Amino acid sequence: MSQCLEGVRHLFASLLRCCDLDKQPRGLEDPEILARETVFSVSEIEALYELFKKISSAVIDDGLINKEEFQLALFKTNKKESLFADRVFDLFDTKHNGILGFEEFARALSVFHPNAPIDDKIEFSFQLYDLKQQGFIERQEVKQMVVATLAESGMNLSDDVIESIIDKTFEEADTKHDGKIDKEEWRSLVLRHPSLLKNMTLQYLKDITTTFPSFVFHSRVEDT
Amino acid sequence: MILFRNGNKTKTLNAFHIISLLEGFNLSSLFEEKKREEKEEIRFATTKSPETMVAKLESVATEMKFMVDKTGDESSLRMKRNKIGRKGRLGIMAEIWAVAPSLVVVEVKKSSGDTLEYNRFCSKQLRPALKDIVWTSGYESTPAGVVGCIN
Repeated sequence: MSQCLEGVRHLFASLLRCCDLDKQPRGLEDPEILARETVFSVSEIEALYELFKKISSAVIDDGLINKEEFQLALFKTNKKESLFADRVFDLFDTKHNGILGFEEFARALSVFHPNAPIDDKIEFSFQLYDLKQQGFIERQEVKQMVVATLAESGMNLSDDVIESIIDKTFEEADTKHDGKIDKEEWRSLVLRHPSLLKNMTLQYLKDITTTFPSFVFHSRVEDT
Repeated sequence: MILFRNGNKTKTLNAFHIISLLEGFNLSSLFEEKKREEKEEIRFATTKSPETMVAKLESVATEMKFMVDKTGDESSLRMKRNKIGRKGRLGIMAEIWAVAPSLVVVEVKKSSGDTLEYNRFCSKQLRPALKDIVWTSGYESTPAGVVGCIN
């Protein structure tokens, strides 16, 4: 009898997911599913959930991360606007509804795990820098990002110097000489300069179970 | 491409290096309690040449009783304090990046040892020693107390 109920419960759980009730914050229902679909283990998913709870309750305690809470988590202040925080939030927000549920959070962070496939990192970084989402990175976008980066770091380079840095970047990267960097060119560039993907890996994610211990015990789960 | 040559290896920097290296785009702060200004990493810009920076860092290291290890990548320096501290010998790594002909960025991080010791070393010894070569871009001193220091 209890097995039958268990089956019914699972059926309802998957029906609810299909209906995309993403405005309803849910507790951590099925860490196994997320674990299967990301590079995280079940206990890492649970630890990540602890982090998520912390971030998502900072301004509005609704089990969801809004833009303000995201900025708060990144900069420890909600007063700071950042080109990158905006882009990153947008990329995390795969449902495009202006808020991050745990699933979006976990799937996006999975890309930053040291064990994530490099292709995922290459893809994510390309989309990150493709500010206008046109499928290629333009010179103007690169300049915008360089200027924003320097400003944030308190450095002031002359326009000439910036232009020459970008010239040389495109000389190397834009092998098709069309004034844009497409996915293929980005990939080659990154494979030649692996340090360009340094910010696509968060070592913290490897130790997350110790940083955010969770107190949920799943006796039926084996952790490989 | 701006090249930094020291020995056989070169470390070239392009616009994307600048974006990913210096920037506000670093999700690791999601995991950290402290504000960025208080982080252990020191990054600063200088108008000295990469070779001058290497020499300067080496002399600072020797003065402070660190042993310098240059067996790795030519544009990074590893040093370990001779004295054994609370968690073994304090180790520092410095990476040197050439951004533009007159601009070099140095990034200093703790590579081993006790964090408190590292923080004390940075504020009491390292920062004062590097003060005269840090490039100022017209900005006020940061909470960390070093003029022109990034972060």
